[in-house]
Amino acid sequence: MQKVITINLNGNAYQIDETGYAGLVAYLEGAQRQLADNPDRDEIVADLEQAIADKCRGFLGPHKTVVAAAEVEQIIREMGPVDGTGGTQPDDAGADRKARDARTATGAPRRLYLIHEGAMFAGVCNGLAAYAGVDVTIVRIVFLVLGLITKGGFGLVYLALAFVIPSADTSEERAAARGQTFNAQELIDRAKKNYADFKSRRDWRRQWRDARRRWRWHAWSVPPPSPPAGGYGARMMTGLLVPLLSLVSVLCFWFWLWAIYSLVTTNEVLGQALPDDIPLWGGILILVVIYQAVAWPLHNTRRRVVYYSFGGGYQPSIVAWDGVMSLGFGILIVWIAYQYLPEVREIIRTVPDVWDSFTR
Amino acid sequence: MSVTERFSAIRKGLLEFLILRIIASDKVYVADMLKRLGTTEFATQEGTLYPLLSKMRREGLVDYEWQESDAGPPRKYYELTAKGKSQLAELNEYWKYINATISQLGR
Repeated sequence: MQKVITINLNGNAYQIDETGYAGLVAYLEGAQRQLADNPDRDEIVADLEQAIADKCRGFLGPHKTVVAAAEVEQIIREMGPVDGTGGTQPDDAGADRKARDARTATGAPRRLYLIHEGAMFAGVCNGLAAYAGVDVTIVRIVFLVLGLITKGGFGLVYLALAFVIPSADTSEERAAARGQTFNAQELIDRAKKNYADFKSRRDWRRQWRDARRRWRWHAWSVPPPSPPAGGYGARMMTGLLVPLLSLVSVLCFWFWLWAIYSLVTTNEVLGQALPDDIPLWGGILILVVIYQAVAWPLHNTRRRVVYYSFGGGYQPSIVAWDGVMSLGFGILIVWIAYQYLPEVREIIRTVPDVWDSFTR
Repeated sequence: MSVTERFSAIRKGLLEFLILRIIASDKVYVADMLKRLGTTEFATQEGTLYPLLSKMRREGLVDYEWQESDAGPPRKYYELTAKGKSQLAELNEYWKYINATISQLGR
């Protein structure tokens, strides 16, 4: 049980408990001391009392008539130390802390991104860890265990995630990946750190090569200058679209090979016999032209999609993944065809014979 | 020493300038100012703001008038005096000048 003391704050009567009262008296006495030389001392103290009274009112309701000690403590924290100099001395640790609190309190919406900083491979675990707010080691262990349980099958999930999740490239995105509001401070810190890393690793040579490659990439695809980077959704779409386009390209390629094989061996493609007045090499040439006509736009679309959604940046990772994926799709398709199409099995069986007849 | 600490003196020095700007844009009372500053790098507290405002009033930059509020007791609404307005114009100019200097010096 606590004794309740009624106080008069700038003409407002409030009831606070004894501990709270002691805290408040100490605060206001401290303010009086700080402002001892200030000609407006009484007025400032009255203002402070009024502000405290307003804050007290916030804690009271129809069924709560006493301000508790903890609440008084909070009010005093919010008021902050009284600055007797009228804002001429650089001593505002309190304001500093409050500014930081304000920053972390108004968090930006968190989003799932790949985070390349400190990543083992593509940054999937890193991004997931930042998104879930847990340590990255835990996520990695979970991934490893899942990988072992599925005998490596989970690796495919990792690959899929690495492809579908957009990577955090700008500072804002990196901040969003960790659920923080972006601010210039972090940018400066990160820039400093990156510069230190850059210098210590002395990898300017690699950087230069990248830059040159990037330049070549620009020259080669001849896009309009510097398109803006796409949004989160656009890049998510890219993650889905690029593998799809790869798959279609690979299907086209194998179909084309099959068509040539079919033309060479049976002199017809899909039941269409080669007209008599066109020689075999002419037929092959036509197939090459058709293939180019179909594959070129596909290839180009894929490159454009990547180009626009990443703001024109050369993405070595995405190009590498693209290659790996095309190869994977290629092998997968051949394997499926080998399993289910007797003709294909026949072709593959005859390949060594054909090879032999060529080389002999 | 972190960057926020390094700049704490500068922020402190800029507070008066920002208060002038806030008061110039609208007729405000202290809780309004705290709220507007609260989400920025310049977040501050009553313990700092009241003494600062009283100093600014002594210097003749701002003045206040009591206004009834629909909730609670009357409030002090601050406004700029003529001197405060010309001071603010000067400070704005000077601030622009400083910014230009910073962007011209090095990189």
